[in-house]
Order: sequence, then structure tokens, then C-alpha cells
Amino acid sequence: MNAFKAHYFDGQTSRLHEVEVQRLDAATIRVVGDGIDRSDPASSLRISPRLARITRTIEFSDGARVLANDHPLLDSWFPHEDRLQRITDRLERHAHAVAASIVICLAVGIATFAWGVPWIADRIADQIPAGVETRLGSEVLGQLDQYFGFAPSQVNAKRQDALSARFSKLTAGLPDAGHYRLAFRDAETVGPNALAIPGGTIVITDQLTGLFDDDREFDAVVAHEIGHQQHRHALRQTLRSSFVLVIAALFTGDVSSASAIVIGVPTFLLQSHYSRGFEEEADAFAFNTLAAHNTSPAWFAAAMRKLDDFHHGGKKAEGGVAYLSSHPSSAARIAAAEASGEAFISAHPDQIRETPGYDACAEEGVCPDEDEDDSDCDDESCLDPDEVDENSDDAEIPDPEASR
Amino acid sequence: MEEELVAVPMVPPARPQPPVLSVRRPPNPPMLEHRFVFDGRAGEYFRIWIVNLALTLLSLGIFSAWAKVRTQRYFYGSTRLAGVPFEYTAKPLPILKGRIIAVTLFSAYVLAGRYSVFMQLGLALLIAVLTPWLIVRGAAFRARYSSWRGLNFRFIPDYAEAYIRFLVLGLPLILSLGLLYPWVKGKQKAFIVENHRFGGSWVKFLLHAGQFYPPYLIAWGVLSAWMFVFTMVMVGVIMVSGAGQSGGAPAGWLVIGMTVVMYLGYFVVLAFLAAALANLVYNHIDIDGRRLRSTLKGQKLLWIYAGNTVAILCSGGLLIPWAMIRLAQYRADCLCLLASDDFNGMVAERSIGVDATAAEVDGLFDIDIGL
Repeated sequence: MNAFKAHYFDGQTSRLHEVEVQRLDAATIRVVGDGIDRSDPASSLRISPRLARITRTIEFSDGARVLANDHPLLDSWFPHEDRLQRITDRLERHAHAVAASIVICLAVGIATFAWGVPWIADRIADQIPAGVETRLGSEVLGQLDQYFGFAPSQVNAKRQDALSARFSKLTAGLPDAGHYRLAFRDAETVGPNALAIPGGTIVITDQLTGLFDDDREFDAVVAHEIGHQQHRHALRQTLRSSFVLVIAALFTGDVSSASAIVIGVPTFLLQSHYSRGFEEEADAFAFNTLAAHNTSPAWFAAAMRKLDDFHHGGKKAEGGVAYLSSHPSSAARIAAAEASGEAFISAHPDQIRETPGYDACAEEGVCPDEDEDDSDCDDESCLDPDEVDENSDDAEIPDPEASR
Repeated sequence: MEEELVAVPMVPPARPQPPVLSVRRPPNPPMLEHRFVFDGRAGEYFRIWIVNLALTLLSLGIFSAWAKVRTQRYFYGSTRLAGVPFEYTAKPLPILKGRIIAVTLFSAYVLAGRYSVFMQLGLALLIAVLTPWLIVRGAAFRARYSSWRGLNFRFIPDYAEAYIRFLVLGLPLILSLGLLYPWVKGKQKAFIVENHRFGGSWVKFLLHAGQFYPPYLIAWGVLSAWMFVFTMVMVGVIMVSGAGQSGGAPAGWLVIGMTVVMYLGYFVVLAFLAAALANLVYNHIDIDGRRLRSTLKGQKLLWIYAGNTVAILCSGGLLIPWAMIRLAQYRADCLCLLASDDFNGMVAERSIGVDATAAEVDGLFDIDIGL
């Protein structure tokens, strides 16, 4: 039978007519029943594309319409209607196509989060003027002072000046580093820590300065933080985190709340950590900077070990803002620093005695108590001749920039 | 009522008339309750959603216009009133056009920022000035391509009024420090509702803007109380943790935890407010004596919102279709139309001679900006 039951509306009133739709011949469609009897050329009719179980509509040129349940006859009557949507409909009904779609969507979604978001966040970071970054930084510092128990430093001014002078030496000659500065804070609850805050400020806790025995360990940690500043990691990480939130909010359809959540991000940033890539970037920067200032990158490893010991050594097992505690990769980073230190020594063999933990007695037989045996050997004269020329025992490494 | 006097003589003679009474209508015709029936299924819609999303991604967004039409048709077509489904009749190409314009504007805005802040400010201003126009165009587009029983909805574009309600009223809103917010919202809602027509009938809004105050005031009250309690608890906790220095370390986590708790409060209040506002608006809509009745419950809506959010986050977005169906199902379950007739006697716009040219002119700006 070349016909089916349907509802007909004439487009002038809302009256429902129960009708039968027939195809008289390949070119003519007839609607008949309930006071309606019309025949129209099939080419003057438009049919809505097939979609799940949704009612199909045949539209007449005068605005009348037939509403019918989806019927196999319909597509054979109008074989040329909307090929694109016909293909789409077939895909929607095809299990393999649905499975493939899931894979495509998940792959694009994951790629967006893994690469797209960081990429866009970095482009936005490039656009943000320095003023905004500075303001964000002072906001973060304010939050630290207010909520995280950061108090004015107990370190005496002379010591602060000395450390700041070392800091200035490290930043000298770096691009856009003119406004970098150290901020000393007493933070009993946080412990030894250094934070690179947007806008160039590096916060050093008293607990950190008190932890190190050698200023070169301090240099190593500060160089790492300068690396964060140079690459604007704080800002970029903030943007990346907020972008994930924004995109997540887009998915849930509640965008208005996302903008508010973003305000909490600076706090969140201090709690969580930089991405691994950022840490490695800052580490690499620190190694290069230390080497350029004639200090072995192995000092970075020494500093890391002390921080690691502090946070895992039972004094402070958990809680708080930890510099390294949640870094499963800290062993790998220490190893990288050691390797970099070895490379530095092989390039500068003269610096061998300036590596942390270097025992001149075991390595070279130059021991304080043995000095008595070799009475005419005193101080520098005991060293190998080639070391004597270029090295001084002073803990302060002369600035190569200055000496040249 | 005036509308009906006009409409009655235009009813076709075929309409069955009460045989005894003359022109006078029965004084109190019995009102029947017609439920909105939604029979969309999550599994079925998931297939549509995922395939259309994949095609959109593969076509770099071009297919999104087709995806939108298919989605809208699915939700309209799955909703029935008195046995007849709604129809979404828009075509993809005008929607694609609208989206290209929107994307172009946005890109221009972003690129302008690269070269000059003033250019970007100018564009932002332009977009702000265009907003009322876009709201009107969007409403007109949606109405024009929505139909039921062969009759179209329409939105009569009154741009002057749109600029007053969506731009000019912003000034007293700011001057009153936000106190006028419910009133302004009410004015805007009334504008949207009252400019709609279905077939030959105006949609009437039986609510004045002042009646928007109670739900907003309750929401404000609850939020303020929440903020107060929250602040007191926060201060208390900080003092306690500050006193015992050893336990002070988790202060940072505390800040985040408290922030989350605070936003949960917002979430709860917003769900209740959304239910109250939707009920308020729907329950005061009148189309030729037919009335809508909405019985959304804030608690149930909150439950649905919360469940949807959790499900979507935990499924990496794959449960979005399920969430959409669930919400549409609940909305339809809570909505019904009270009417005393069989819906056979409504007439189309054309038969009572309202300008047909207006619809043609609209066609020139046939864009749907909503993304």
C-alpha cells in the first residue's frame, strides 16, 4: 500500500485533520480525508530530514503541513531531500559511527586540555601588560600575609642586604629583570620555601635562609626562582588553571560562576605546584645561571637534599605549603643537578674543590692533620701547581663578569 | 479580552458552535489541564549529540549549525502538547551565517587588543550597543521558527523599547546600587513575553515588574545570612588555628575549603531562585484565556543541577546528553496548559491581516547569534 495515516494542518487555523497521504504517481502526492482533498506535485513539497523517532513534516508551498510518524515510504518518495542530513542520520543510527565519534571527541577533548589550553593561556599571558601582572603579584603577597601566616622577617638587615646583593649579581644582565626583588618573610607554618610571585617578586622565608650553611645553596634556589620569573611561570600557571575551570564551566553551562572561582586561583597556585615542564625549565635555567657565575650546579642538588630532608625528615611530615614534598620527581631533579654539576666540573676542572661535600683529604690527600707531616706545605702551596694559579679558597666565588 | 473579540468573527464557519446559546460565550468554561509530554531518551539523544559533535570538530565548526538544528528539532519534536509535537523549522544556513558573524566579531575584538586598546574598547562598546538589537533578533528568530499545529510563534521587534529596557534601564540600576535589579529584570522579562504572538494572538503577561521582588529578596536574605554565618565560622576557625600555631599550617587548605563551601551556598540559592522565577513567569502567561502552569520545585531542580554537574565532570562530558534530557524531562513534567477548548479554533497571523511584509524584512537579518 502506497499510503499512510497522518495529521494535516492547513496553516490558517490550528484545526487538526486526520488524513491519509497517498502517492498517486512518482510526481504527485495526494492528501485526503476529514474535509481535505488536495493533490500537489511532489517537487513543490519539502520534507523535514529524518531524525531519530521525531515526527516528520511535509511542508506545502501554501504553508499547510502534514505531520506523520517516520515512515519508510517517506524517503523513497523524496529521494533528493537534504543529502547531508540523510548521511548524518545514517551515522547516528550506526553503532560503529557512534563509537568512532566517541573516540574523536575524547581525543580532541584530551588534546585541548593537554596542548590547546596551555597554548591559549600562554598567548594570553603574552598579552597581559606588566602592570596587571604586578598588581596580581601584590594581591598574592597580600593573601600570603593575611591567610598563610607570613610575618615580617626576623633576619637582620645586614644579612638581608648581603643576600639581596647576591641576588642582584644573579639577575644582572638578564632581560626584563630590573624590577626583580627579594621579599623576606617569617613563615613558621610554611617552613623553608621560596615563591616566585607574578610581577618579579621572590618571597624567601626566614626558615629557608636559616636552613642553608652555604650561600651557594641559597644562590641555587634563588636562581631556580628567577627561572620561574624569566618564563613568567606564575602567571602562565594561573592562566592555565583558570582556563581549565573556564572550559569546565562551559561544559556544565554555568559560565557565570567560573569568573568568580578564578579569583581563588592565586591561593590555589601556592598550594599546588608548577607543572613538571615548568619546574624542569626553571631547573635548567638555574643550572645555566649557576655555571655562568662559576658555581657548580651541584649546589642545587645540595639545596634540594636539605629541603627534601627537612620536609620528609620527620620534622614536618605533612600539611603546609611544601617546597618539594609533593614532588615525586625530586630525586630525578637532584640527579639532573648532579649530572649538570659533573658536566660543569669536567668543563672547569679547577672548580673541583668548590663542589658541595667535596673532601679534599679523601680525594687529593690534602688533609688538615696531614699538613703537619709536610711542614713546609702551607695553604695554597700544597695544591697542585695548576690549581694554585686559578683558584682561591674563598667561599665567595669571584664574579667572572667582574674579573674579565 | 479585546483580542478575543477580534478573533471570534474570524473563526472559520467549520468550527462547531454551541447550538443553543447565541453570540455570548459560556460564562465559565471548564478548564482542562493539558500536560506537556516530553519523551526524549538519553540513549537516543546521545547518538545524535556525539555524532554531530564529532562532525562539528572534523569540519572545524562549520557543521555546528546543522548540529544545532538537529538538536533543537529533537527537543522540540520530543515535546508534545495535546498529542501534537512542537516543530523547530529553522534552516542551518542562516544559523551558520549568524555564527560566522559572531566569530568574526570576537576575533576582531581579540585581534584589536593586539594593536590598540582604544580599538578594542571601541569594539567592546559596539558590542554592548548591539546587545539589545541582538536580543530582539534572537527572540524573533527562535519564535519565527517555532510552530505548533501549523501555526507559528512570532516576536514583534520593538527596538526602541528593547534599548530602553536592556540598555537605558542600566543607568537607574547602577544609581540605585542594584536595588532596582528585580524591577529591571521584571521589565525585561515582560518585554520578551509581551512581544510574542502565537498565531493571531498576543501573549499577555499578567505580572507587573514589582512582583519580581519577593523571590529576589528571599534569595538576597538567604545569601546574606549564609555569608554572615560563613564569615563568623571563618573568623572563628582562623582565630583557633592562629592561637595554636602548630596546627596553623592547613590554613591555606582551609581558605580553599571555605571558598568551596561558600560557592555551594550560591549554587543552592541560585537553583531555588531559578525555580521560583520560572514558575513566576510561566504562571502569569495568558494566551487568549489559556494559561500556563509551572510547578518547578527548587529542591528537585537543585538535585538535578547537582547530579548533572557531578555526572558531567565524572564522565568527561559524555553524560551531557543525559543531563540535558533529564533537565528537559523535569521541566516538561512541571508544565501544563489550562484551556477550555480543543485547540482547533486558533487562527494564523495572516487571516487577521497583520502585516506579512514584516516577516519578509526580518528575513534580511535572519541570524541567530546564541551560541
